[in-house]
Amino acid sequence: MSGRAFGLTFLSRYGFLVVFLGFFIFFATQSDAFLNTSNLVNILEGNTILLVAALGMTLVVASGGIDLSIGIAIDFGGWLAIVAMMDHDVAWPLAIVVGVIVGAAVGAFNSFLIVWLGVSPFLATLGTFFIGGSIQQIYTSGGGQVPFRQMPTGYQELATGETWGIPNEILIGAVVLFVFYVLLERSIYGKRIHAIGLQPSAAAVAGINVRAYLWMTFVVASATASVGGIISTAGLRQFTPLAGFSYLLDAIAAVFIGASMHPQQRPNVGGTLVGVLFLGMVSNGLNLMGLDFNFRDALEGLVLVGAIALAVSQRRLPGRVGSPA
Amino acid sequence: MTAVAPAPAPPSGSPPPPSGSADMAAQVARRVLYFAISRGPLVVFAALLVYLSLESEFFLEWRNIKSILRQSAPDAILASGLAVVVMAGGDDVVVGGIDISIPAAATMGVGLIADQLVGGTPLFWAYLLGALAILGVGVVNAFLVVYVKLTPLLATLATLVASVGMYKWAINNRRITVLENDFVNEVRDGDFLGLPIPALITLGTLVLVGGIAHRTRFGIRMQAVGGNRSAAEIAGLRPGGYVAASFILASFCGVIASIVLISRGSGISPGIEERLLVDMVLATFVGAAFSPRRVVTVPGAVAGAILVKALGNGFQLIQVDLFQIGMIKGVLILVVVASSALVGRLRQ
Repeated sequence: MSGRAFGLTFLSRYGFLVVFLGFFIFFATQSDAFLNTSNLVNILEGNTILLVAALGMTLVVASGGIDLSIGIAIDFGGWLAIVAMMDHDVAWPLAIVVGVIVGAAVGAFNSFLIVWLGVSPFLATLGTFFIGGSIQQIYTSGGGQVPFRQMPTGYQELATGETWGIPNEILIGAVVLFVFYVLLERSIYGKRIHAIGLQPSAAAVAGINVRAYLWMTFVVASATASVGGIISTAGLRQFTPLAGFSYLLDAIAAVFIGASMHPQQRPNVGGTLVGVLFLGMVSNGLNLMGLDFNFRDALEGLVLVGAIALAVSQRRLPGRVGSPA
Repeated sequence: MTAVAPAPAPPSGSPPPPSGSADMAAQVARRVLYFAISRGPLVVFAALLVYLSLESEFFLEWRNIKSILRQSAPDAILASGLAVVVMAGGDDVVVGGIDISIPAAATMGVGLIADQLVGGTPLFWAYLLGALAILGVGVVNAFLVVYVKLTPLLATLATLVASVGMYKWAINNRRITVLENDFVNEVRDGDFLGLPIPALITLGTLVLVGGIAHRTRFGIRMQAVGGNRSAAEIAGLRPGGYVAASFILASFCGVIASIVLISRGSGISPGIEERLLVDMVLATFVGAAFSPRRVVTVPGAVAGAILVKALGNGFQLIQVDLFQIGMIKGVLILVVVASSALVGRLRQ
């Protein structure tokens, strides 16, 4: 392989990383605070909830679906964990379990609609989105916050504490990341999920129990997202109804950015991580530049359009492995 | 694609050739079941409308119907645009046609128009500026999807975020009230031939956009591209052009919607795009219930928007808790899509 061809192959595959690095260097030159360890830790910490939500989404998209109700799982997980502690004196570790189970139940409802009734994932999860949002409004008198000031310290420290000098949020994010990496990229389970996403009928012929795997996918995705909700309520010491919605579009963006880096444009755990970090970095960097609040949002959108277009258009470079004909 | 589909297992109780009366009965039962499920959504909608009109005398009064038509206009127009994109791109939402940027683009247009009108720009130039901005988003979408080959969901997600950011920046994220503008007020309150002007604009959109999508050679070819891209390509069509056109047509619907929206809100309230987005998606896909094949169509999308607004209005009239209306919408979607999924299974 000549040097030039190698360079093109490298660029086509890792184009987005080059864009990422470019922005990183740009922000570092624009603001002294950007490269501070505390700021970089902030970026990681501030995006844990997005990361876990996006990982759940990665699993669903890899199986060929989408989950618009990921925000509902986030909301319900945090909400019911708090309610369990507040109104039923449940111990905090058990409350976490309650939150995750409730999240899994949201996923099970999706699975019921998708696998059992045969509804398309987009519409099924859109239905869940409306119903879940409405339930929150009904029980919080239209979206009033549910404060929990006397939160057990253990629960609160999920978001605010440290272990071995590392913020707990980052540790939780890292554990979920590792589990998903093993699950989706290194196990037979993950191979089968990808097979289903690529070609469900072929996967079925090959003997994969497609229905069972899809059931699992939505349940695991929602249960994972609910972990994000638990962290969120622990950090804020309150539940804010409908707050999960704000993670939906970013989670989708992160998954698709990640997929754009894969040789076959498949959603993948590493790519999703890069997507989340990119979104977090751009938001943080623009913030530090001290730009006008509204201008920053505009710029963030333009950066998103530009960066994704740039990264994906590199697919057209020659030498791309698995580039579309 | 040469996927080997597993031979579908015969549904339990599938009718053998009718030989005896028991078989006949089974077949009749099957027919009835099929009819009930396939017409299920329409029956449910009709029953709800009858119920609402019995519960509230005001519901079917012409004054209320006019208000429903007025309120549903923006959703109906936006949903027409989305319907076109879905038809051209195929209804697989992850890789198929979807455009979630239309409401954001329209809102951006509304913001620009309101800003210009308040600043004293003549009506024509203000609306032209708004229209160009909205069409610009359509062009960018078409470019990202057809040329850069981004999935429509990601491309329009990116332009959604950019449009919202830009308009909030342009108008400083504040409410702008357009007062005493005759044109704006006329579109909001005026009637023509006994119909509210927004309803007439909806009708015009339906005729124009629905006509293009369903009644022209271009539209039929566009649907062919959406139905089976490789088959369309083999037949000699160039899918890219049709897909690009669908995004531009969708942004054109955004332009029309912006004219109605600025009047309805007497200016702009930042943030309206979120509600418009969910209602547009809801109307488009609920509208599929109105098509014999359960597919997204332009007339279906318009009917879906009016239906959703009518139900919302009716439930408000009989004083159902406002917070429960989201629940009703969610159940509506599920009734429609679950029944169409079951129809598909029964047909096998």
